[in-house]
Amino acid sequence: MQDELQEALKFIGKETPRKDAGDIVRGKANFIDDIKLSGMLHGRVLRSPYPHALIETIDVSRAEVLEGVKAVLTYENVPNWKGGLPPHVGVLDRKVRFVGDAVALIAAESEEIAEEALELIDVHYKALPAVYDTEEAMKEQAPQLYSEFPGNVFPLACPWMGPDSLQEVVIGDVEEGFAESDYVVEGTCAYDNIPNPLPIEPPGVIANWEGPEDLTVWSSTQSPYFLKVILHYAMGRINVRSIASHCGGSFGTKVAPWQLAFYAAALAKVARRPVRISYSKEEHFAAYTLRLGSRFSGKVGIKKDGTIMAVAGDWLINAGYCSDAAQGMVAVGCGEVQLMVRSPNWNIKPKLVCTNRNASKMVRGYGGQELEAAFIPVLTMALEKADIDPFDFFKQNYVKPGDGYYWRDGNWWVSRGINYEKAMQEGAKAFGWKEKWKGWLQPTSIDGNIRTGVGVGVHGNADVGEDVSEAYVRLDPDGTVLIYSCLSEHGTGQRSSVCKMVAETLKVPLERVSLAPPDSEVNPYEFGPVGSRGTYAIGAAIIRAAEDARQKLLALSAPYFNSTPEDLDTKDGFVFLKGEEDKKVSWKRGVGFDRTCLGYGRFEPDFSVPNFAMVFVEVAVDTETGKIEVKRVLTATDVGKIIDPQSLQNQLHGCLGSAGLDTAIYEESVLDTKTGRILNSNMIDFKWRTFLELPVFDSVTLETPVQTHRFQSVGVGEIMTSPAPPAVLMAVSNAIGKRFNRYPLTPDIVLEALGKCQKTEVRSRK
Amino acid sequence: MPERFITLFVNGEQYNLEVGERPWMVRTSHTLAYTLRESLELTGTKVGCNKGECGSCTVLIEGKPVLSCLTLTVECDQKKIITIEGLEDPQTGELDPLQQAFVQSGAFQCGFCTPGMILSVKALLDVNAAPVEEDVKEALSGHYCRCISHYHVLDAVSRVLKKAGE
Amino acid sequence: MKSLQHVNVYTVEEAVNTLREFQGEAMVIAGGTDITGVLKDKLLPDYPKALVNIKTIPALSYIKEESSGIKIGSLATLSELSKSPLLQGQYKVLAKAACNVATPQIRNMGTIGGNLGQDTRCWYYRYPHSLGGRIMCLRKGNGPCLAVAGDNRYHSVFGGQGCFASCPSDTAVALLALNAEVKVTGKWGTRTIPVQEFFHPRGNSLKKVELIQEIQMPYLAEKTRGCFLKYTLRKPVDFAIVSVAVLVAMEEGVCSEARIVLGAVAPGPLRAKKAEDFLKGKLIDATVLEEAGHLAVSGAKPLSMNSYKVEIARTLVVRALTDCAFD
Repeated sequence: MQDELQEALKFIGKETPRKDAGDIVRGKANFIDDIKLSGMLHGRVLRSPYPHALIETIDVSRAEVLEGVKAVLTYENVPNWKGGLPPHVGVLDRKVRFVGDAVALIAAESEEIAEEALELIDVHYKALPAVYDTEEAMKEQAPQLYSEFPGNVFPLACPWMGPDSLQEVVIGDVEEGFAESDYVVEGTCAYDNIPNPLPIEPPGVIANWEGPEDLTVWSSTQSPYFLKVILHYAMGRINVRSIASHCGGSFGTKVAPWQLAFYAAALAKVARRPVRISYSKEEHFAAYTLRLGSRFSGKVGIKKDGTIMAVAGDWLINAGYCSDAAQGMVAVGCGEVQLMVRSPNWNIKPKLVCTNRNASKMVRGYGGQELEAAFIPVLTMALEKADIDPFDFFKQNYVKPGDGYYWRDGNWWVSRGINYEKAMQEGAKAFGWKEKWKGWLQPTSIDGNIRTGVGVGVHGNADVGEDVSEAYVRLDPDGTVLIYSCLSEHGTGQRSSVCKMVAETLKVPLERVSLAPPDSEVNPYEFGPVGSRGTYAIGAAIIRAAEDARQKLLALSAPYFNSTPEDLDTKDGFVFLKGEEDKKVSWKRGVGFDRTCLGYGRFEPDFSVPNFAMVFVEVAVDTETGKIEVKRVLTATDVGKIIDPQSLQNQLHGCLGSAGLDTAIYEESVLDTKTGRILNSNMIDFKWRTFLELPVFDSVTLETPVQTHRFQSVGVGEIMTSPAPPAVLMAVSNAIGKRFNRYPLTPDIVLEALGKCQKTEVRSRK
Repeated sequence: MPERFITLFVNGEQYNLEVGERPWMVRTSHTLAYTLRESLELTGTKVGCNKGECGSCTVLIEGKPVLSCLTLTVECDQKKIITIEGLEDPQTGELDPLQQAFVQSGAFQCGFCTPGMILSVKALLDVNAAPVEEDVKEALSGHYCRCISHYHVLDAVSRVLKKAGE
Repeated sequence: MKSLQHVNVYTVEEAVNTLREFQGEAMVIAGGTDITGVLKDKLLPDYPKALVNIKTIPALSYIKEESSGIKIGSLATLSELSKSPLLQGQYKVLAKAACNVATPQIRNMGTIGGNLGQDTRCWYYRYPHSLGGRIMCLRKGNGPCLAVAGDNRYHSVFGGQGCFASCPSDTAVALLALNAEVKVTGKWGTRTIPVQEFFHPRGNSLKKVELIQEIQMPYLAEKTRGCFLKYTLRKPVDFAIVSVAVLVAMEEGVCSEARIVLGAVAPGPLRAKKAEDFLKGKLIDATVLEEAGHLAVSGAKPLSMNSYKVEIARTLVVRALTDCAFD
C-alpha cells in the first residue's frame, strides 16, 4: 500500500516551481513596504538616549505645529494597551528601559516631515542606573525595571502553553545520579552574544481603523491569524482583521509584531487615517528582536561507558527589557534539552531576567538553541573525561521512539517518531567523521599555521506538532480548488507545498490549486508556520479539509452514478466509478454549476513526533591570525517524506542563516555597557555570511515514513540552526587544543587562547 | 534656485522629472531607490538596509550594478537605468533566461534579496559570458541573504550558463 | 534623508567657487557611498547646507602614465583601479587594495578620492542619530573618546591624540607604500601633500573649501615587488581590521629598499620605519623577516581589547615580506 502510494505521487517529492516564483523574480511579490493605502501617513518613533530613565517633562508643542504632522503621541495620551508576557509593556511609558525605547510617536504626511518633527520634541529625563548583566540584575541593590517584577525576575508561567507549562527540568534525584557516576564535571558557558536574527526586510505594519472597534492591520507577519488573536487581547478585545504581505524573512521574529501594530494603530486612531510604521535597519538592529542571552552553570555526571547519570545546573536567561513570550522559549528549551540527551536524573532551574537592553523575542531555535549552546560545552567536558566520541554519544543518547520527555505543556510524552540513528550514521559516513575525529582537543590535520578540527551537534524538537491549525478547502465546479489557510509566505515555500499536498489528495493538476490570500477575515484559525509545524500541523489540517471536501463531492455525485460515495473516486476534475475510469463526470455535472464543496480540517496539538537533525562541521583555524574558516558543513536528518526537494534543501542551508551557525564565529550584538548602546547597529559591523565564505555544504536526508498524515512527512527547517554553534565551538577547540566557554570566537578570543596576545579585558556582557 | 529638470531612462522608458520641494517633485535628498519605488512605482527594487550594506537595492546604471539607496536621483540625469522590471520581454512578458533559471532552481526563499541578485548576475554575464564560479561569487559578494539561498543561486547561474552553452 | 541644496559643478574651479560660496557649509559628493550614509544617519551635529557634486567634472576621471609616474584623477572609481592595465608591477598593490574595498557595487560607485577622504568607521562616531541621538566625542568637537574605556576592538593600536579611531582607507595604505602624493585644490590654489601628511589624528588635512584633484605616484626602482594584504573577518564588505602594503627591492637576495605600511592600526596609514631600516642591506631569510615583523609593531600601544591586532599586524608584515622576497 505504502509503495503504491509513493509510486502514484505526482507532485509530492517532485521539483515543482514555487507558486510565487514568477512574482519573486519579476520583483512583483508585494512585501510590506510595497503596499500603499490612499491617504496613508508615515509614523516614526522618538527613541530614548538613556538605558534607564524617567521622563520628567516632554514638550511636543513645536512638533505638533509643523506642517504635515497629523498625530503626536506621548505616554500621556496613548491608549492603555499592553503587550508582553505577562502583559507589562504599554504603547509608551513614562519610564524608558533601554537605549532606543520609544519615547514619542509621530505620524506625518511624509517620512521626512515625521523625522523633522522628532527633532522638535523636547524631553527632559531623569537618568536612572542601568543593569545589563543577568547576575547583576538579580542582586538586591540592582536597579529595578518594573515594580511588578521584583528582583528583575519574570514569572515563568506561560498560560497559552497550558496551566502546567514547563518551567524547569526536574526528574529523579541528581545527587544519587552523581554518586553513581564515574566522573562528575562542573563548568559554565555563556551563549549571550545576543545575535540579531535580522531578516533582510525590516519589520513593518500598516494600521487603519474601519470603525471605533474595528482595526485592520497589514504586516509582514509570519502568522497573520495569531497576530489577530494577540492584538485582540492586548488592545482591549477589539475586532482585528490581520492581513499579511509577502514576508521578507522572519525566522520567528515577525510572528507577532504587536509593538509596531500598537504604534501604527495608536497614531491612526488620532490621525483618522491609515498609518505605516516601517522600521529602519538601524531600528531593526537596536529596537526590535535579539536572541535570548543564555548562561549555563552546572554539573554533569557520566559513567565510563558514556551513560549520563545526572545533569544539574542554573540556566540564566537574559530577556532584555521585556519578555515577549520568552517563557515559551524557556519551556521549549527545557523540553528540547531532554530530547538531545537522555538522563535519568535532571535538575535544571531557569531564571528569566530583565535588563536594560533591547528585548530578546521569538527566534528560531526557540529556547533550545540557547540552552544547548551553553550546556553542550559543559556536557562535552564529561565526554572528554570519559573519552567518548561525541558522535557516538549523540547518536546513542538522543530520544528514540518509545522514550519519553516532559514537553512544554508540562506533560510526559512518549516519542512515536522516527529512529534517526540511520540518518546520523549515514551522515557520519558521508562526512568521514571516523577518519577526521582524532579525540578530544586533537586537530584533524596540521599544515603549518593552519589546523583543522571537526565538531558535531544534535538537536530535536517536538513542536512540529504544536498548536492548532484549521483550514477549508473549496472545490469549485469548474475543477479548481481553493485552499483557505491563514498562511503567509515567509520563504519556506509552504504556501506552495500545501498546494502540492492538496493536488495530490484530490488528484488534480497543481496549477488548479491555489490559496486564498493570508487574511484573517477570509481564513479560519491558523497559528502559523513556526517550529517546523508547517509540514505536519498545517499540512494535516489542509489535507483533512481536502479529504472532507472530497467526501462531500463524492456524496453529491453519487446519485448521478446511482452508486455510493465509497465506490467513487475523483481525478483531474472528474468523478468516476472505481475500476471504470471511463465512466466519469465532471465536477460541474456531478454537483451542479451552482454548488461548491467546502471541506473543513483541524489539527490538534501533538507533541509525540520529535524531529532531529545532526550537523557536522569542519573548520580551519589560522593559528597566527586567529581566523576561523568553516570549511565544510553536513546536515543529517530524516523527513519521513520529502514534499518539495528544493524548498527542503533551502531549509537545510538555513543552518548557515539567521542567528544559526555563525553565532559561533561572527554574530553578536555589541552592547556598550558604558552607554547602553548597541554599537554595531549596521550591516558592516554586524557580521553575516557572504557568497565568498560559503563552505562545502552536503546533506544526508532520509525518508523513513513517520506517522503524521497522509504523506508521512515531518518538517525540519527550524532545527537546522541549533546543532551548529556548539559543533563549531567543538571543532575549533579540537583544531587548536583549547576549550572555550563563550561565543562568538572572534580572532581576539582565539589568539588569546593560543597565548598569542595579552588577555583582553573581559568584555562586559549583557 | 532655477527650475531644474532631470531625465531618467528606466528600462527603456524616458521619465522627465522636476526637481524641487513640492510633494510630486524629486527632492535633492531623494535616493534613486526612493524615486524608483515611490515616484515611478517600480517596487521591484527592494530597500533592505538603506545604507548600501545589503545589496538588495541594486540596479544597473549604464550597465553597472550600483546601490540605488546610496545614489541621489538628481545625479542620475540622462542615465540609463535597468531595474528588475526591465528584464522580462516588454511585449510578451517572457522572463529573461536568468529569471527563468532562478525559477527552475528555486533560487530564493523569502525572495526579498532576489531582484538585486539577479541584476548583479545579469551585469556580470553581460561582460563575461563564461564566468567561473568564483567570478559569480565575487559578483554576488555584496548581496545579503539571511535565508541562505546562496547555493541555489549558484545553481541557477550555472543552469543559465549551461543553457547558453548548448 | 534631510533635504539640502545640490549643485552640479563642471570644473574644479567651479567646485572650489561653489564651496566658497557656502562658506564651509557645503560638502563634496563624488561616489556618495560614504557621505550618503553620514547624512542619513545624521552623524554630525551640523548638517550641511549643500552638496557639491563633482561627478559632473569630466576632467577628473583618468588613470594615466606620464614621464614622472602614474597620475590618477580623483574620480577614478575603485573598479577602474582594480582593472587598470597601467597598475602593473609594484603599482599592483594599489589595484589589489582597490579591489579589496567593500563590494562590487561600492567599487563601481566609490572613487579613489572618496576612499582617501572617507570618514572613520569608529562605531561610537558612527552611532546613528535615530537611535537615541548621536554620540558626541572629541572627533566631533565635544566630549571624550568613548573607545578608550569602551569596546575598542577595532580601534588604533598605535595611540591617538585624544581620538583613537583608525583610518579605514585601504588605498591610503598602498599609496603611502608607493610614496604617492595627493594634489588638492582650494581657494588658495593647488597644493601637493604627501600621503603621509594627508592624514592627521582626527581626520585629514583637507580644508572645507578643498577637494582632492589627483593622486600622483612616482616611478620606483625596476626590481621592486609589492604585496597588499587585508585582514578582515569576511572577504567582502568588511573594513580592514589590519592591512599591510609592502614594497621590497631585492638584489641577489639582499634587500636594497623596503617600504612597509600598516593600515587600520592608527589614525592614518603608518610606515614601519624601524623594520624598513632593519631590512635595508640584509640578506633575506625567514629569521630576518620575523625580526622585521616584530620591529614593524614595536611601537604599538594597544587599548584594552585590541592587542590581537598587533599580533595580526606582525603576522601580515611577515607574510607580505615573504611574498615579496620569495615569490
